[in-house]
Amino acid sequence: MAPSIGTSVPRVDGPAKVCGSARYVDDLVLPGMLHGATVRSDVPRGRLLGVDLDPAFDWTGITVVTADDVPVNAVPLIESDQPVLARDEIRHAYEPVALLACEDRLRLAQALRHVTLRVEPLPPVLTIDDALAAREAIRGADNVIKRYRITKGRGGAAVEGCEVVVRGVYETGWQEHVYIEPNGMIGWWDGDTARVEGSLQCPYYVQKGIKGVFGLPDDGVDVTQAVTGGGFGGKEEYPTLVALHALLLAKKSGRPVKLVYGRQEDVEASTKRHPSRVEIASGCDRDGTLRAVSIRVLFDGGAYVTLTPVVLSRGALHACGAYRWEDVTVEAVAVATNTPPNGAFRGFGAPQTIWAIERHLDRVARTLGTDPVALKRKNLLRLGDTTATGQTLKESVGVEECVEKAMAASGYVEKRERGPVVTGRTARGVGAAIFLHGAGFTGSGEKYLKGKVAVDLLPGGRARVRTGSTDIGQGTETVFRQIAADGLGIGVENVDFAVPSTANVPDSGPTVASRTVMVVGSIVDAAAKELRARLEAEEKARGATRSAAWERLAADPARATSLVQYEPPPGVVWDDATYSGDAYPAYGWACDVAEVEVDLDTFETKVTGFWAAVDVGRVINPTLCAGQVEGGTLQAIGWALTEKLVTKDGKILNPRMTNYIVPTSLDAPPFTTTLVEAAYSRGPGGAKGVGELPMDGGAPAVAAAIEHATGLVLDRVPMLPEDLFEASVKGGAR
Amino acid sequence: MSVAGLALHPFSTPKTLDEALALLAERSARAEKTVLLAGGTDWFVERHVAPAEEAGVLPLVVDVSRLDALRGIAVEGETLHIGAAATYLEIRKDARVAARCPLLAATARDVGALQIQARGTLGGNLASGSPAADGVAALAALDATLLLRSIRGARRVPLAGFYTGYRRSVLAADELIEAIEIALPPEGSPFAWRKVGTRQAQAISKVAFAGLAVVASGRLARLGLGMASVAPTVALLPATRALGLSKPLGEVTDADVEQAVLADVSPIDDVRSTAAYRRHVAVRLAQRFFGELRAL
Repeated sequence: MAPSIGTSVPRVDGPAKVCGSARYVDDLVLPGMLHGATVRSDVPRGRLLGVDLDPAFDWTGITVVTADDVPVNAVPLIESDQPVLARDEIRHAYEPVALLACEDRLRLAQALRHVTLRVEPLPPVLTIDDALAAREAIRGADNVIKRYRITKGRGGAAVEGCEVVVRGVYETGWQEHVYIEPNGMIGWWDGDTARVEGSLQCPYYVQKGIKGVFGLPDDGVDVTQAVTGGGFGGKEEYPTLVALHALLLAKKSGRPVKLVYGRQEDVEASTKRHPSRVEIASGCDRDGTLRAVSIRVLFDGGAYVTLTPVVLSRGALHACGAYRWEDVTVEAVAVATNTPPNGAFRGFGAPQTIWAIERHLDRVARTLGTDPVALKRKNLLRLGDTTATGQTLKESVGVEECVEKAMAASGYVEKRERGPVVTGRTARGVGAAIFLHGAGFTGSGEKYLKGKVAVDLLPGGRARVRTGSTDIGQGTETVFRQIAADGLGIGVENVDFAVPSTANVPDSGPTVASRTVMVVGSIVDAAAKELRARLEAEEKARGATRSAAWERLAADPARATSLVQYEPPPGVVWDDATYSGDAYPAYGWACDVAEVEVDLDTFETKVTGFWAAVDVGRVINPTLCAGQVEGGTLQAIGWALTEKLVTKDGKILNPRMTNYIVPTSLDAPPFTTTLVEAAYSRGPGGAKGVGELPMDGGAPAVAAAIEHATGLVLDRVPMLPEDLFEASVKGGAR
Repeated sequence: MSVAGLALHPFSTPKTLDEALALLAERSARAEKTVLLAGGTDWFVERHVAPAEEAGVLPLVVDVSRLDALRGIAVEGETLHIGAAATYLEIRKDARVAARCPLLAATARDVGALQIQARGTLGGNLASGSPAADGVAALAALDATLLLRSIRGARRVPLAGFYTGYRRSVLAADELIEAIEIALPPEGSPFAWRKVGTRQAQAISKVAFAGLAVVASGRLARLGLGMASVAPTVALLPATRALGLSKPLGEVTDADVEQAVLADVSPIDDVRSTAAYRRHVAVRLAQRFFGELRAL
């Protein structure tokens, strides 16, 4: 059987999605089902005095749920500080306060207009600076959610003794996920068993939330993933809240309840990428050898803790970029504000700090009068080097090859030497970014997760993968079939993928952190290979053909299934107390080159070419892998150039696709993607993670290209035409 | 909030223009509100964010998109006649428009994207009165005349006299826009169309600029300008037009153009852009057009 890994097996979920037969949560109808809706606050901070139902409105057939109906009113997460429904306190402008359900959607929409919240407004904390100033305390005395400190060598103080010292401040704004399908869940009760089906990334996260709030055991909760139209991290923690709301309405009404957000509600209320400010002081030799760096990372966590501590952690761990530094201090702080909680989003804190360090090294290069890529190449991490946390890189460092390939494919060096090309009133330039992304959970995370996967032998020579890792459009179903097929030595068409449901699949850990292929894929691989060994043993012992052995094992419940738990690689040591050690088992590496054309009158930036060379360890499916790179890069280009969330007094002014501007296919540049394979010994076939990596490099590469084309230096994303115009007014425009 | 209440709207599909006009006349006499539905690309989208409908207070929605009298594109003599309910797709595919009025063809290609172009109409763009209307900017540069009709009869209103303020016009409650008439410029007349949006498609303009000129021996014999998103209504830039017609092209300097355009526009900061940026882009696009004309 020719191996399936390395071939572009077509996406198994593709035909149903393209033909429209795939059933998303909004397509599902249960008998007796009601529609649900959420009543939200409209001030960012205040004391909730009461929820009033208009006595003139006919409330017949409308179920109303308030905080009084919630058994344990706290969403279980890192800190369980977020209420399921607000009771006394309003902490952001879209805080859920009450829930309504009705069979008729129009009456439901009308009823929403007849609920009034009595709120005494309080002065809100809306920005990082507001929070740090702590004139209003909304969390502890200092509004700080979490702090980390990473030190290496003599620490950041060593900067001051260096030959060349460069300082800079770099900022990023919110980013909305804009998955095609907004959040949605159906919840119902089967006696005492809670059941939900909906759009989600992590069925076991949702299960944990329901268990905590309703006080149920594992087998009292069944969470099933419906076909999911994209997530990008936006369906990591948020769907738990939607599921809880649907179940509360279902419990009170005694009927199944479907709660599906419209786009506007989804943009307003659900999580977004953390806004950031990163302050860097670095020291290097006159020849460009980097020596010391002192970095302060500030993230806006929003109204509740949610996942902010881990997002901040990843941001801090990526803050030094793909480079060697002898002396390091990274001080990372996340603060609370009265804005909707920010959360998981592809890249998970790293895009913000990679943006900062890449822009900073561009600034260092400008100071030294050298090309940024030449400077960065000189200082790249290599095998045997140690990172800021003291991790020694022992294998799978393909960054130098990525840089070579991206340089060659893009003609970067020649284009930079030639200088910007100005034709009439347009200027063309190129820029690059070099970066890394840790694959899998940070530090000791995978040890605690204990991810599990089951592979079953089925009659008729078929096999089935059962895993809690979901396909949200990125191709999990397809690549897991490939890995299992090769492990078993059968054709990929003979492998099934079980619908992820907590009743039916083991907990593989969440579908996040670029861990699906590298970590969970390796468990799939181990389970499949274990079954293959069983088959071989059965063949030897009973002297039969492979297919006879297969059918015998498949018919024997005791031997048909291999359930394997992840074994973290030996020798990976992490110390949470000192924030030192092996931060990630492996890193993906990449080099991006962007070419842009800037209209010197309107300051519109068009990305005219994009070259990405990405070290993914091993390519499981070339089409899907390149698709991850190109899709992630386009998402980064949107963050860089158009995606600006406009807010006023804590409210979002552009919560619609007509005014929150994501790129269209016409805005996508022609991509040239090169996949590099510096194998990681513990990944399936050598594979590492790729999902998040491409989100990290697009923005700094585009910024460097704009700088090359126009001479305008931008240190904040997004870089709208208005921002280029402003920068040009301040000086420096061509 | 919801489109759940769409079905609550009283709805009418008149078969003929006369029937539609009679209905409008009846309702306006009783001071009842009517929504004329052409492509619906604004109205339907707005339903999503409008408060949930309550029966009894809703306007009558009258679908005029299939009235033959409002459809069709014709050239009569040197006048291009476009039905108010002709779609952008029909306009961009029309060979006569492409040959004789390429400015309008270029605009039609840039509006929204294919789905919007298949439904959206110039009549709807005019009637909804958005200052960001791309189609209206082009019609301004073409100095279009609007043919308005009611049971009282027809009247012709130049675009320059159509709007009275932000989303307000001289269109009476019993009137509809039947057609747009454009005095065709000579073939090959120079024109400019530039939509400064936020992305390559599906974007509402931050600024849109349309220009049309007839040049004879170094002077402008005709100059039309239109600009979207720089004033409470689509701007016709009268000072800039007057400047262009006042002296030989070679004597019109960039500084003159800047001064005139700044007198003509009054942009605001909003969710899509800033006043300062819009002023800058308005000036630069006009200067570019004058530069192109000088270079002819």
